[in-house]
Amino acid sequence: MIGPSIVIKGTVTGDEDLLVQGKVEGSIELGNHEVTVGQSGQVKADIQAKVVRIDGAVAGDVKGNEKVVISKSGNVRGNIVAPRVTLEDGAIFKGSIDMDPGEETVSVSLASSKPSSPGPDEIAPGLDLKSG
Amino acid sequence: MTEQQSAKLLPSLFARIDEEQRITVLHIGPALPETVTFFSRYRCKLHFVDVFDELPIVPEEEGGESALAFFRRLFNFPAGTRFDICLFWDLFNFLDAQAVEACMSSLRPWLIEGSQGHGFAVHNTRTPQRDEIFSICEPDQLAVRTRHRRLAGYSPHPQSHLKTMLSVFQFDRSVLLADSRLELLLSVRFLSSA
Repeated sequence: MIGPSIVIKGTVTGDEDLLVQGKVEGSIELGNHEVTVGQSGQVKADIQAKVVRIDGAVAGDVKGNEKVVISKSGNVRGNIVAPRVTLEDGAIFKGSIDMDPGEETVSVSLASSKPSSPGPDEIAPGLDLKSG
Repeated sequence: MTEQQSAKLLPSLFARIDEEQRITVLHIGPALPETVTFFSRYRCKLHFVDVFDELPIVPEEEGGESALAFFRRLFNFPAGTRFDICLFWDLFNFLDAQAVEACMSSLRPWLIEGSQGHGFAVHNTRTPQRDEIFSICEPDQLAVRTRHRRLAGYSPHPQSHLKTMLSVFQFDRSVLLADSRLELLLSVRFLSSA
């Protein structure tokens, strides 16, 4: 979990599910896992994961290998690529949705922003924070 | 509150589409659950552009921008985008003639031969304003919500005028609806002559 007071600038990768309640700028890459942007989460980053659920705010492109869900409290500005997309009533979305990603290649930008230092107790051990 | 409304001409749009065909759709208006769910049955890329949310167009002399600049800003799609289907809903009822023409001019580069459109106009210009948001549930069924704010600039056009203003689309069919509105099925004119 990335807690509500945590700000991360850089690339977040890992081998477990992730809940973002804080701020992330850069990119999030959790290919075979689930990313949830919680209600207090503010993400200015491209996200790539198996399942992406957005309850908070995201500005960036979102690729879900399996599905993307924008809940009623979600606010997304960006482009979504996923074979299944669910938009709940009340969700705000501006951008495009590609539901035929068969010919798409995974395209995730690697941010090189200066990282901040999150508190160790807020970052799950399976997550790897990279910075340029 | 969401209500259902039948659409007589919409099925014609989808009748020509093979389920295996990859399509690109322009949806003018906010992204809504029914539309996303509906198009998930197709190999589809959906572009949502909520022009209504940006209206009215503030003129340049009042610190705004020209209608052409307005639509070019909103219709800023990735290179190579070509729309098979354009869902205008009742957009043209909220644009003056100059803005309709700017809309068409800005959209033209993103169309291909065979592009189709759907929208609503009025049977006569005294038809009262309806502030509604549309989405698709089924090929012949729309979901209609009441818009939270009343849109300014309601200026519906006579059908004959609209035919001229929609420079890149031609009317394939129109159906008179019960509330004195028209449902329009559009197809792109040969772009070389538009």
